[in-house]
Amino acid sequence: MLSREDEIRLNELENQVDNGGGGTWEYLSLLRKLKLRRSDKVLTHGLSLLNDPKKRSALAAEEWTLYEQVAVAAMDCQNFDLAKDCINVLQKKFPESKRVGRLEAMLLEAKGSWAEAEKAYSSLLEDNPFDQAVHKRRVAMAKSQGNISGAIEWLNKYLDIFMADHDAWRELAEIYVSQQMYKQAAFCYEELILAQPMIPLYHLAYADVLYTLGGLENLQTAKKYYASTIDLTGGKNARALYGICLCTYAIGQLSKGRNKEDKDGSELQSLAATALERDYKYRAAGKLSILTSTLRGLKL
Amino acid sequence: MGGELRYEMGQNAYIKLVLHALKHKTSAVNGILVGRLSAVNDVVEISDSIPLFHSQIGLLPSLEIALMMVEEYFSEKGLSIVGYFHANERFDDAELSNVAKNIGDHIHRYFPQSALLLLDNKKLKAWSKGKDRSPVMQLYTKDSSRSWKLVGVDGSSRLTIREPSANIVLLDYISSKKWEDLVDFDDHLDDISKDWLNPELFK
Repeated sequence: MLSREDEIRLNELENQVDNGGGGTWEYLSLLRKLKLRRSDKVLTHGLSLLNDPKKRSALAAEEWTLYEQVAVAAMDCQNFDLAKDCINVLQKKFPESKRVGRLEAMLLEAKGSWAEAEKAYSSLLEDNPFDQAVHKRRVAMAKSQGNISGAIEWLNKYLDIFMADHDAWRELAEIYVSQQMYKQAAFCYEELILAQPMIPLYHLAYADVLYTLGGLENLQTAKKYYASTIDLTGGKNARALYGICLCTYAIGQLSKGRNKEDKDGSELQSLAATALERDYKYRAAGKLSILTSTLRGLKL
Repeated sequence: MGGELRYEMGQNAYIKLVLHALKHKTSAVNGILVGRLSAVNDVVEISDSIPLFHSQIGLLPSLEIALMMVEEYFSEKGLSIVGYFHANERFDDAELSNVAKNIGDHIHRYFPQSALLLLDNKKLKAWSKGKDRSPVMQLYTKDSSRSWKLVGVDGSSRLTIREPSANIVLLDYISSKKWEDLVDFDDHLDDISKDWLNPELFK
């Protein structure tokens, strides 16, 4: 997730660099720091630095970092010759490096030489069983071959060792969702909420998964987590506000005629509906009438 | 059912869906087809499309909201939801996923002649060099069968684009990275001031 400030800074810099206004190195460093995938940009701008001997030497030791960054971007853009050139330079400078070895394995992977890449990754892991990046490449490789059950297996093995890797839990949850394995996805989000209880995104995703699963109990829990998302975001999250309305409606449908316990439920719904209407009025007035009639359809 | 039902898509509807897939190259995306059945000619006219999501496609809440709003907006214009568009995450994945089938089924319940379109990645890649006028999508229908079936190997004959120049225009948009301006329903939910109708896109 990108913070608002980071996004603004990034867009400014990107604009400036695209228009030849300098700051290329700063831009590339920011991309690395934020772990963003803008391979086409990295390729163009990174190359312009590498091809200019003066600018390149000004980077001093950072030069090698740039070679690595460009190599990975080149693989992403299917420019394998360029990737190979970058790796060769690094190889010469750091002949025994495992990090360069990883790049070589990645190049095999990028070319689709799955068996060779797998062999290279395995041997890297033999030398260092705790190399997280290599473990992750294995997951990605299974995924890119369409071997989703393999990806799930590798990722679970990885999480056995690196339980505190939140991004990995999130990735696993998203893979489960794509396979419609919602119970398993819910478990991942439970782990994430336990580990980082203040991140609204996890509350929201957990609620979404529970709503998708359906059933009275899941819907009731989903509603609680939509409510906590609203709490954590100061009411600024449209998805959570909609979630409250959907849950209340679905719960009402399921418990129709059985009991009228959900009085405070409908109160929460009208609060959420009012918040949505206010938001739309100020920020999306053109869509207000669609919103109002949609919400009317969700009234009990 | 009588004669072969055909599907005719408007240029803008078509272009929006392809641009949506190109904007989010690394994830699966989907969208909704809007139009109506013209019984006289046995044609489903797809006059518009709404790009929906580029993340967590398998989740229900946002999909339900999107479908309700799209229907709400278009029913006044005498149009309804007539199909579903899906693009897979991986380039060499040409299978219709279960998520796509389930969403397709849902739409099919309300519109029995509905189409399910899958982006044809290989064709999109090959075609950008050629002059093919047929759409870069594969058509699946349910006709009388229970499951979604790919229509003909050259199913393009039952799915056409109204304007013959559509692919040329699309190519032009691709080279100018037009997708940067495209808004989908995910974007709208993240920031409601972004309009999923994309009224400015073709201006």
